[in-house]
Amino acid sequence: MAILNLSPLTIKTLKRFRSVKRGYWSAIIIISLILLSLVAEVFVNSRALIVSYEGEWHFPTYGAIIPGEEFGLGYQYETNYRDLKQKFKEEGSDDWVLLPPVPYNAFETDLEAGNYPPAAPSFTKQHYLGTDTVGRDVVARLVYGFRIAIFFSLFLLICNYVVGTAIGCLMGYWGGIFDLLFQRLIEIWSNIPFLYVIMIIASIIVPNFWSLVIVMLMFSWMGMTWYMRTATYKEKEREYVMASRALGAGTARIIFHHIIPNTVSIIITFIPFSVAGGITALTSLDFLGFGLPPPTPSWGELLRQGIDNLQSPWIVSSIVTSMILVLTMVTFIGEAIREAYDPKKHTIYE
Amino acid sequence: MTAYFIRRFLLIIPTFLGITILVFTVTRMVPGGPIERMLTEAQMASGDQVSFQSNNQGIAGSTLSESQLNQLKEYYGFDKPVLESYGIWLKNILLLDLGYSTRYGEPVWESIKQRLPISIYYGFMTMLLTYVVCIPLGILKAIKHKTPIDNISSILVFIGYAIPGYVAGIIVITIFAFYLEWFPLSGFTSNNFDELTFFGKIGDIIHHSVLPLIAYMSGGFAVMTFLMKNSLMDNLAADYVRTAMAKGLEFKTAVVKHAFRNSIIPIATNFGENITIFLAGSFLIEKIFNIDGFGLLGYESLVERDYPVVMGILVIGSLLSLIGNILSDITVALVDPRVRFGG
Repeated sequence: MAILNLSPLTIKTLKRFRSVKRGYWSAIIIISLILLSLVAEVFVNSRALIVSYEGEWHFPTYGAIIPGEEFGLGYQYETNYRDLKQKFKEEGSDDWVLLPPVPYNAFETDLEAGNYPPAAPSFTKQHYLGTDTVGRDVVARLVYGFRIAIFFSLFLLICNYVVGTAIGCLMGYWGGIFDLLFQRLIEIWSNIPFLYVIMIIASIIVPNFWSLVIVMLMFSWMGMTWYMRTATYKEKEREYVMASRALGAGTARIIFHHIIPNTVSIIITFIPFSVAGGITALTSLDFLGFGLPPPTPSWGELLRQGIDNLQSPWIVSSIVTSMILVLTMVTFIGEAIREAYDPKKHTIYE
Repeated sequence: MTAYFIRRFLLIIPTFLGITILVFTVTRMVPGGPIERMLTEAQMASGDQVSFQSNNQGIAGSTLSESQLNQLKEYYGFDKPVLESYGIWLKNILLLDLGYSTRYGEPVWESIKQRLPISIYYGFMTMLLTYVVCIPLGILKAIKHKTPIDNISSILVFIGYAIPGYVAGIIVITIFAFYLEWFPLSGFTSNNFDELTFFGKIGDIIHHSVLPLIAYMSGGFAVMTFLMKNSLMDNLAADYVRTAMAKGLEFKTAVVKHAFRNSIIPIATNFGENITIFLAGSFLIEKIFNIDGFGLLGYESLVERDYPVVMGILVIGSLLSLIGNILSDITVALVDPRVRFGG
């Protein structure tokens, strides 16, 4: 462990975290899901992974679109690789196409002649969870919706924690008028029904990803601020802060080098719950129609479709199952982290 | 103590003022407010009439005359300086005059007052049931710590905690209302409600409220159960319980007479939060179950851009949440005589 210089205390905490089995495995699964979602195009995409055409290999997944002409199809717009595969098969040529496991993207509508969407799950059509009310593949919507939701909530978390820690530490460290002023401000801010105000704002400006992060930040920075304020208040009175002040350390040094490292357990403990909160908030907004504009793939929109089309159970069941799995795993991680930092030993009477 | 609560109540005033300023600013910046809405409506209405009287109104685009527009602006206070119109609005709020709904034309306060009983019913029932179920369950889980009963119920409670209440609502609707058809899909009462007997009415309301109540409870339920369990376990580990056990007290008596009283305190802290819960999260659940309460009114008025109602709901919602916080403190003080608020 030469590169990562971990203190014995941190190693102990990590060991305790690993000992909570369900939290540890949830963490592994969730982190893999996040990493895999970064390259979701390889698994769920209408573009082929590899096309072998006249002895030449093409990799269309990333990069510019390849027009149909390139592969001897008579059109200039993007190649339909599913048709191409079909065509090669019928011709019996040496050319071949390797499609992703789910050969649909989140936006294209796949309509069957004579049938109105939503279509039930079908393995032959490779719509493993069926299609939604517009004929888009549910798996693709789920996967790309997950990617948006999780990164939305991660960015929101980072912003919240930066703002919350900065203001909270200063409130606790400076105290006095600054503290009082922000206390009042936070009280006002947190007594307003927050989802409702965001809906009002979202109904005025049609938000995109970043503006929605900023709007949410405006109404959710208070939580972390409050915890950090209390923690800083406690830490400020400890001897080590007094000692470093006596040595001539300035405010910035004391806060960044002494107080924050000592309160990092609070920050880490809250991360999973903030992630879950972020996903939930975005999903709620999308569900009500005040979130990211369509046709952005979104879990909230799928939920809405699911509840409006109960006769197509594959929509509601797949989205609800995904939500339960992801949110429960995130909560398990949170519980394990809390346990790792603050192991509870209970007395049990016989 | 009394002094503390008087001070708390007095502090409502500046906080409330702050909230009204915020609400006012938000709605002031809103484009597509009442006037634009009326303009579009007037345009649409005149669009229908064009075939009848195409020559009467010559002005293309704007169908309202300058003086009519000014009248409207005056009505909504847009003609005055911001500060002045804020003052007027604030005065009206204090007199519970929240203006008129642009959608229904009736006073906002009336619309809100009509919906409140339904929301209060659900809020109160949720709170009651949560306490009735969670406290015994928490005690059971604490006593049976690390046994199968504890582990299995933990997983269920965990899932309930992880998913938001309205998703729980969607699950129960799908299973129990759509597939099994045990409960109605939506609404607060049946269509033939007025024809039912007294007990029939009560039965009807209960029949309609089972599923929404599950959705409302799912979130707070987990928090309460774990709070109860953990605080009871902390207390069981405390010295005074050990002393009681050492004296030869039965375990049951030690739990009921000693540990329980102390472990109920954190639960009381949660009391006031319930008031805010049934306002904040409710529009999602009310929307799914189509319950015509406070939340659904808020959602619909937002969709319809009925800003007087939106503002009224914001103001009343914030006020209730302020009161809820104070109620929490009062309950804590009542349950735990050692608590002395001050400073």
